Amino acid sequence: MIRTQVSLDKHEYALAKKEAKALGISIAELVRRALRQVLPPQGQPPWMRYAGFVESGNPDSSRLIDDVVYGTKD
Amino acid sequence: MARKIECYADTSAFIAFLDRSDSHHPFFRRLFSDPPPLFTSSLVVAEGHGRFLRRYDPRRALQFLQFLDELPVLVVWPFGAEELMKCKRLLKKYADQSITLADAHGLVLMGEHRTGTCWSIDRHLSLTGVPLVV
Repeated sequence: MIRTQVSLDKHEYALAKKEAKALGISIAELVRRALRQVLPPQGQPPWMRYAGFVESGNPDSSRLIDDVVYGTKD
Repeated sequence: MARKIECYADTSAFIAFLDRSDSHHPFFRRLFSDPPPLFTSSLVVAEGHGRFLRRYDPRRALQFLQFLDELPVLVVWPFGAEELMKCKRLLKKYADQSITLADAHGLVLMGEHRTGTCWSIDRHLSLTGVPLVV
């Protein structure tokens, strides 16, 4: 592990503290998790960090694009 | 080493890759990890953006655009008056099918590029004989 310092403004710190508490983790762990979200996975091309960046809960998500974008027929 | 063949990427391919809940996600995750040259329509970009905007929020819609920017193998083809004319001809030919303008532009582009494969799960994209990757 490498130790580093991060400066946050008051508002960000308060939000981070609240979120960490809600998740039952430290602020340091919250920052580590947030970093993992934006960094590409090891050994993977940069765009792979977007793989599965949303979780709709719908296994037919890619089939229902027209319904979401254009709406369903009346 | 064999040259990779250029493929057309439709909105459904992007969504399947980006949505971890989608049943095709593992397959498209594998494809996008080592993609061939890809091309798509600017209307597909608009559809994808609209999908994230309506289903989620402006932040995620922007992330979608950012993802496309970071995909170096992707070429986005513009859509103008000439393309509209070509699409109208195609839509008239397949007037019995519910084809969107984005699908029509994809079909026109695939015809012009003599594409071997289409990255899509939408059967409309195989109307002109280009096989779908799934």
